[in-house]
Amino acid sequence: MILTAVFLLSLSALSFEILLVRVFSISQWNHLSFMVISITLFGFAAGGTFLNIIDTRKKNWEKHLSSFENIHIFTILFTLSAIISFIVLNRIPLDYFRLPLEPIQALYLLTVYLLLALPFFFTGLVVSIAYAFMPEKTGFVYFASMAGSASGAIIPVMLLPFICEGKLIILSALIPLAVIFLKNSNYTQGHILTRRIFHPKRRYFRIVSLCIVIIAGILIVKGGNTIVKVKPSPYKKLSQTLLFPHTRVTETINSIRGRFENIESPHLRFAPGLSLKYKGMLPDQTTTFRDGDNPLFLYQLKSKNDAQFSRFTLPYTGYLLAVHPKHILVIQHGGGSAIPCALASGTVNITIVEQHPQIANRVQQHYKLPVINQNPRTFLARSDRRYDIIHIENWGTSLPGSAALTQDYFFTIESFTQYFQHLSNNGILIVSRLLLLPPSDAIRLWATAHESLRSLEIKNPEKHIAVLRNWNTFTMIVSVQPFNDTNVLQDVSRNLNFDLVYLPKISKKNVNRFNIFDAPYHYIEIKRLAEAYRLGTEKTYFENYPMDVFPQTDNRPFPYRFLKWSRLKALYKMTGSRFYSLFMSGEIVVSVVLIEALGISILLLILPFITTLKENRKFYFSHMLYFLAVGSGFMFIELFFIKEYIFVFGDPVISLTVVITGLLVFSAFGGYWSQRISAKNFPIAIAALIVILMCMFFIFNPIMNSVIQLNQFLRYTLSLLLLIPPGFLMGLPFPLGMRYILNLPAQRAYAWTINGCASVLASIVSAQIALGLGISVIMILAISAYFLAFITLCFKKV
Amino acid sequence: MGQVQKDTPQYQQAREKMVLSQISLRGISDKKVLKAMSEVFRHSFVPKELVSRAYADHPLPIGEGQTISQPYIVALMTESLKPKGPERVLEIGTGSGYQAAILANVTKEVYTIEIKEKLYTKANQILRTLGFTNIKTRHSDGYFGWPEAAPFDCIMITAAIDHIPPPLLKQLKDGGRLILPLGNPFSYQNLSLVTKHGEDYTVKQITGVLFVPMTGYALDPN
Repeated sequence: MILTAVFLLSLSALSFEILLVRVFSISQWNHLSFMVISITLFGFAAGGTFLNIIDTRKKNWEKHLSSFENIHIFTILFTLSAIISFIVLNRIPLDYFRLPLEPIQALYLLTVYLLLALPFFFTGLVVSIAYAFMPEKTGFVYFASMAGSASGAIIPVMLLPFICEGKLIILSALIPLAVIFLKNSNYTQGHILTRRIFHPKRRYFRIVSLCIVIIAGILIVKGGNTIVKVKPSPYKKLSQTLLFPHTRVTETINSIRGRFENIESPHLRFAPGLSLKYKGMLPDQTTTFRDGDNPLFLYQLKSKNDAQFSRFTLPYTGYLLAVHPKHILVIQHGGGSAIPCALASGTVNITIVEQHPQIANRVQQHYKLPVINQNPRTFLARSDRRYDIIHIENWGTSLPGSAALTQDYFFTIESFTQYFQHLSNNGILIVSRLLLLPPSDAIRLWATAHESLRSLEIKNPEKHIAVLRNWNTFTMIVSVQPFNDTNVLQDVSRNLNFDLVYLPKISKKNVNRFNIFDAPYHYIEIKRLAEAYRLGTEKTYFENYPMDVFPQTDNRPFPYRFLKWSRLKALYKMTGSRFYSLFMSGEIVVSVVLIEALGISILLLILPFITTLKENRKFYFSHMLYFLAVGSGFMFIELFFIKEYIFVFGDPVISLTVVITGLLVFSAFGGYWSQRISAKNFPIAIAALIVILMCMFFIFNPIMNSVIQLNQFLRYTLSLLLLIPPGFLMGLPFPLGMRYILNLPAQRAYAWTINGCASVLASIVSAQIALGLGISVIMILAISAYFLAFITLCFKKV
Repeated sequence: MGQVQKDTPQYQQAREKMVLSQISLRGISDKKVLKAMSEVFRHSFVPKELVSRAYADHPLPIGEGQTISQPYIVALMTESLKPKGPERVLEIGTGSGYQAAILANVTKEVYTIEIKEKLYTKANQILRTLGFTNIKTRHSDGYFGWPEAAPFDCIMITAAIDHIPPPLLKQLKDGGRLILPLGNPFSYQNLSLVTKHGEDYTVKQITGVLFVPMTGYALDPN
């Protein structure tokens, strides 16, 4: 029965975790999902600490705690705490932006944090009880836990299209109650180990469970649009748009990739980069929001003339350089104004690539144009067609800084190289973005284009790049041919009141004329960078610039991250000394979560030492080191694959689901197999894992570059197959350590705590490492962690 | 309909203090603007329960998720339009009606549009009670301006917006000025002055402004 409980609780807990990530993505921003990881593992680890604390506090504690009666109580508490904590999270007026201003917000945050940790605590408690009292079956416990978690990862993927996040949280929280209704929960065998008989209370538990199911049913039926409906943050664009009169949500589509909401409103007027010289009206528009933000606008183009407004937009200046373009490729990521640009150019061969299936479908239905629903990098890798224009539309989120952790392959040196290789002889690449002050994005993109052109052995790359701006957007145009004649761009910028930022041979008097800043900041910086490239001192330029504007690569693909920790104070002043603007920077949130997780981990790890008598302390430093190494190693590998597979699947959610499911399933089988491994062969298992990981490190990138060119079925299959060797071997060290290194239940409970703490810290550190040093470094850390575990084993007699 | 708060010596004193410490000392020097700020009863435009904070150095909520701007911002936006006296001004976003009242004191005619009916009704009533005969109010979508009354010498948009509405530019006279907080409605905006020079336009950033972000409560239908 305990294995069934472990399986069902692990299933429900992981499902709850993934759904909480969805809830945070809608109600807040994606990067706050790191808080969910922290909450989850904190709850799990606290379960082990709890067992350790009561170790010396209560006689026969192990028998009491591991009785079926208590397992049932913990299961019921899990369900109750999961439902209640979600409802509190959904209703509490917690507002992160007010944290520095209103002390009550800290109390709200603490309440939410502790409540959300409770379901994970009860799960952790049951799992650690199973480990503690069944040392001979640690492999089976591991299998039940991992297989349950893997199943839990699939539930949101399968059911979100049919049931909204809130309802699904409640439904999945009910799943573990099944253990109470199972016939084989034999109360005559009251204890998971002994034959001790307890008074049967099965009927009582069943009545309580039934009551919970009925209340949950009422909540789902009656509270679907109120108490359990997840609302987007009031600061998100969707919330702001809904404030307009006569504005309504016409359709909501849920999926693991996001919540897509179609909006109709007479007040939608999206035309970024529109010249002030445009005198006409904008066409009617509808929009689709993903998770309450990242809107995609669709224009009602009833006649050809309706798209003419786009001829007055900044990105269209690039179209003027390609006379009569035959083939245009639009790579779409939010926005929506690139399609009217392509239509206004008069060409009939327009290819649109959109990686979100829901959005691709909507665009196709709306414009009746062929839309390729694929990761753009995959599409280009599989295509040998050349285009006269490649237009990349990607304006970013509504809140600067919130996308700092977003891993994106649109703007890396390698992706630019791919774009250039798909341009015709007179081809033009157009990239449009929001204009940021202090200058950052424009500098980085200019440098990325320059580096990419240089890698293609094009002489004087700076002669192929132009940058123009208006008051809040900029457009970078890169031409296959050098800009020998700059008159077209000079004339159009003069006629439409745009400003030149960078163009070969322009002078200071031609910039900052129509959209006037105190100084032509962007012109000055890009000119300095161009000069640095000419002199070969670009590295010095990047090191000295107050923000991180270094061009991004596929190994470090974080194009919206500009923070330099060494210049944090200067950045704080530059952005108006507003605490909240830093607080919403994804990277800073991660650091805050890391500090908080470190504090909690230390507390959970030292608590048993404080609360128990010295003679009862049975855990050794080598034990600690081994389980720290194994816990962090596992998480490093998981994060490495999640981040690497974003390149293959083009979507972090798909990558997360494939990797978590794959690794957990294969580890589960590893855990099951570990039952057959003797103490003698224990170190060999870890050595084999290290060898496999080292091979992975060297061959992974070449394999990925080949995999991305395959069709979808083969991509998924090969990606999963690649997870088998490390996944299977990763399932060995923890259950083997539990079985062969540790002797007492309290030791195993403590090892469970260490594993949880190491996992949470490793997951947060991985994010920071990837941002600063690149994804491949995470694998080096994983190898080092398992090597440390191996060394620990070698010096300790098993 | 609530009664308009009358003036008292205490309010008069608070206004004088406001003009001196919050406005003059921050660099607003246009005498007409300073006079208007010291004459218009700001306390008449704020909700009853907030009257005691009417002359404080910050914006105040007026319901419907909207605010009455900080006195300094009202003065800065008015001065930036460089009013000489005979101008016809269009204001988008009447809100409480306070900004329209200030504009009416320094220009010839003010046309003001409010999209939210409750705010329109309330502001209209206050402005009538206070005797502003040179202010014309309308309940509609300000994005399209007031074509029948165009062209205008000056246009002021008093809500954060992420673009410059083309219909409003069309209703601007040659040499006319349009002031607005341009940018992301949440993070920050740039107070920007658009000037029409024949067929061309310039956009000059005046200063960074931060309009109070709308909160979750603003979305609550109750």
